[in-house]
Amino acid sequence: MKTVRTVCPYCAVGCHLDLVVENGRITGLEYALDAPINAGRLCAKGHAALDILSHPQRLTHPLRRSPSGWKRVSWDEALDTAAEQIQRILSTHGPQSLAFLATAKGTNEENYLVQKLARVLGTHNVDHCARLCHASTLTGLGPMLGMGAATNPLWDLARSHCLFFVGSNLAENHPVAFQWVQKAKDAGARILVADPRRTPTAWIADLYLPVRPGTDLALFAAMLHVIFQEGLQNDRFIADRTTGVEALRASVMRTDPHWAARITGVPARDIVRAARLYATASKAALIYCMGVTQHVFGTETVRACAALALVTGHVGKEGSGLFPVRGQDNVQGACDMGALSGLLPGYRPVTDAEARSFFEKAWGLPSGTLPTTAGLTVTEIEQAAGKTIQSLIAIGENPVVTSPNSSKTREALQRLPFFLVVDLFLTETAELAHLVLPAAAWAEKSGSRTNTDRRVQWSSQVVPPPGEARPDWAILVSLAHRLGLAKYFPYESPEDVLEEIRHAVPAYKGITPERLRQSTCGIPWPCPDEAHPGTPVLYENRFATEDGLAKLYPLEFAGLPETPDADYPFCLTTGRMTLHYNSGAMTRRTESLLSRAPYLTVEVHPEDAAREGLKSQDHVWVITRRGSIKAQVHLTRAITPGVVFIPFHFPETNRLTQDVLDPQAKIPEYKSAACRLEKVIEG
Amino acid sequence: MPESIRERVMVRFERCVGCHSCELACRVAHSRSGSLAVAILEEPKPKRRIFVEQAAESPAPFLCRHCEDAPCVRCCPTGALRFDEASGLVVYGVDRCIGCHACVMACPFGVIQPGAGDLFVVKCDRCPDRDLPACVEACPTKALVLERDFLLDRRRRTVRRFVEAARTAGTEADFVATGSIGNP
Repeated sequence: MKTVRTVCPYCAVGCHLDLVVENGRITGLEYALDAPINAGRLCAKGHAALDILSHPQRLTHPLRRSPSGWKRVSWDEALDTAAEQIQRILSTHGPQSLAFLATAKGTNEENYLVQKLARVLGTHNVDHCARLCHASTLTGLGPMLGMGAATNPLWDLARSHCLFFVGSNLAENHPVAFQWVQKAKDAGARILVADPRRTPTAWIADLYLPVRPGTDLALFAAMLHVIFQEGLQNDRFIADRTTGVEALRASVMRTDPHWAARITGVPARDIVRAARLYATASKAALIYCMGVTQHVFGTETVRACAALALVTGHVGKEGSGLFPVRGQDNVQGACDMGALSGLLPGYRPVTDAEARSFFEKAWGLPSGTLPTTAGLTVTEIEQAAGKTIQSLIAIGENPVVTSPNSSKTREALQRLPFFLVVDLFLTETAELAHLVLPAAAWAEKSGSRTNTDRRVQWSSQVVPPPGEARPDWAILVSLAHRLGLAKYFPYESPEDVLEEIRHAVPAYKGITPERLRQSTCGIPWPCPDEAHPGTPVLYENRFATEDGLAKLYPLEFAGLPETPDADYPFCLTTGRMTLHYNSGAMTRRTESLLSRAPYLTVEVHPEDAAREGLKSQDHVWVITRRGSIKAQVHLTRAITPGVVFIPFHFPETNRLTQDVLDPQAKIPEYKSAACRLEKVIEG
Repeated sequence: MPESIRERVMVRFERCVGCHSCELACRVAHSRSGSLAVAILEEPKPKRRIFVEQAAESPAPFLCRHCEDAPCVRCCPTGALRFDEASGLVVYGVDRCIGCHACVMACPFGVIQPGAGDLFVVKCDRCPDRDLPACVEACPTKALVLERDFLLDRRRRTVRRFVEAARTAGTEADFVATGSIGNP
């Protein structure tokens, strides 16, 4: 019997867990008590992680659609078919008709290979689910600070004197990370929480701001107004390290707390209190998540977050920083690897001629192979499916559940002439594919993954994949070989790929496979050379912009695209819950989790329920302009009256969400939609 | 702290007749009103911390073991569950709980359950306000006993067995009592 340490495959905290191996089989899970990150702690999903490995519904053989249903085929046949189809489409429609969806559940090496395959074939049509959660963090923070990543490690939260959570439910979604929040609270820190729901994160708040969905921007603007009005800004920091403060100050002149109170629903005096508490703390952390990013003004709101941190000087030191908390285990890594339609590995824009020629040289491609403009994003690929996009290769993604207005996504994917899915299970999306390839899960392959605070960690293979399932990297390499691209894909192991990544992504330069295997808690990037210990806190002396100064932008406001009206009187918002994860492809297949949260529920305030004549556990139709779904009523005073909440882990939820995108980040508006409730009449 | 709190509830499985009195008493003891008549109508319904399970065709009550190296304590991210050295109990502080259900998943005995209403998880607290836990008090067959009583009872039963054996078959019992049988 031995134990092998791996990194938990669920959220992005990056907890370690030890798998007990006996005779080549995993027989149990042990708490990694000496792990510096989680010290043995695991949340409910971490505890259930093993269930995925031995799940009876795992895909074990390649499957091909036939008129009589799924037909089992050999790997040779499957890969030949895939290569043939891709080549046919490539020769008749050109590279822009191909699209790839990478996965935040894959390793860095796998994401690097997906984007490389797309780009070697001549297209930037490669994207992944970061587009649906933190794309606005990249477009918002990137130009302001130089990088669109968390500035400090999560454990720094314990050192903060003021923690301001906006649109983040850390307690439910990243429970292990909440230990540091409790620690800060024990040491006397003030906790501020702005959320339409009084979530478990808000239970320990000193000040709770019940902001209406989609109006966080007004809240930030009013706080900035108060800060400037009362002279609470950090003038020294602003003068030494930022530019553009005057334009920002002018843009928030009129956004006083009384104005914001009408829009946000937060009492003006609480906005003033929040501004004072955050600005006057000696160390303050701003933690935001999808409540801020998944909006039609996601980029603008992220900018407002950063502006708040910059004018108060709460960036660039221990305990002070911006924490965009990522949702999936390797969403940070997938972004770093350039699995994004507009960015090459290391966040170099595809529009940058120098960057394009660097990669063309590095990969040995003829000059001019890489297109000069950005490719299509996740939502754009779906819109173009069956039209300009003829072939889609989706790895570990489930857009039929995760995309907004998902009925439309389903129709679009059905139009595709060739659709290949690589996944662990026959998901709602895989059911629409022509060819499904079985993938290996986290403990069945090795590779590096990057958690939410930029910490790159190695996770080792513990057991072989079930049946004929293979790791994504191996599938991609064999597919590339069949496409005649063997010279670009000479890899024999994930370590070989990481060696190439080190040369392509400057922030990973010093991160060798050997170092990663030996380090007990990973290496935070940037790590410019092999002797460098990594950088836990960013921007201590300079920002990553060209001149080293942070750029402040004026804030701009526009109206919400859809607000409640007489026909649709409620505001529908979506989010996560403790026991489920993303599209539910894994957690709804895990009995121990599903049995505790089996139904789709809609949270309704008792006052609203009384007006609508609804009781607890009634079944209702939740109806928006896009569609209607059935859910069970859960009465709670934790939600703001006029707002209803549905978790997004069930396939129905995103039938309801709006189909509008943030113009810069192309992130969909998931957090607000006008809806109405109608009681289901049985029989 | 009264000494009795240190003691765990032990189960004499052979005595349990599956009457579920312990479950009812536990519910009432953890209801807001504390009275059976009122507790029945309470919403959310008060939850029990002891479970009479049917195993191998006999009923068996089961409750938190208050393990010293408890998995629930080890995995709790916020310290809401901790082992209290003074009382020897695994105590639950609701003010630190975030309802993450890690303990629910971790407990090897399945005796921590998701709560209802204002509690996020529910587990045996060994009735801190009572001298005798409600389940022990309610058990009509004395299948549930406090550790102190359990040891006392076991000792007396053993002694009684020895004495009875001595009276019926003199010499053999002498050997048993002095420990020489089986160790010649």
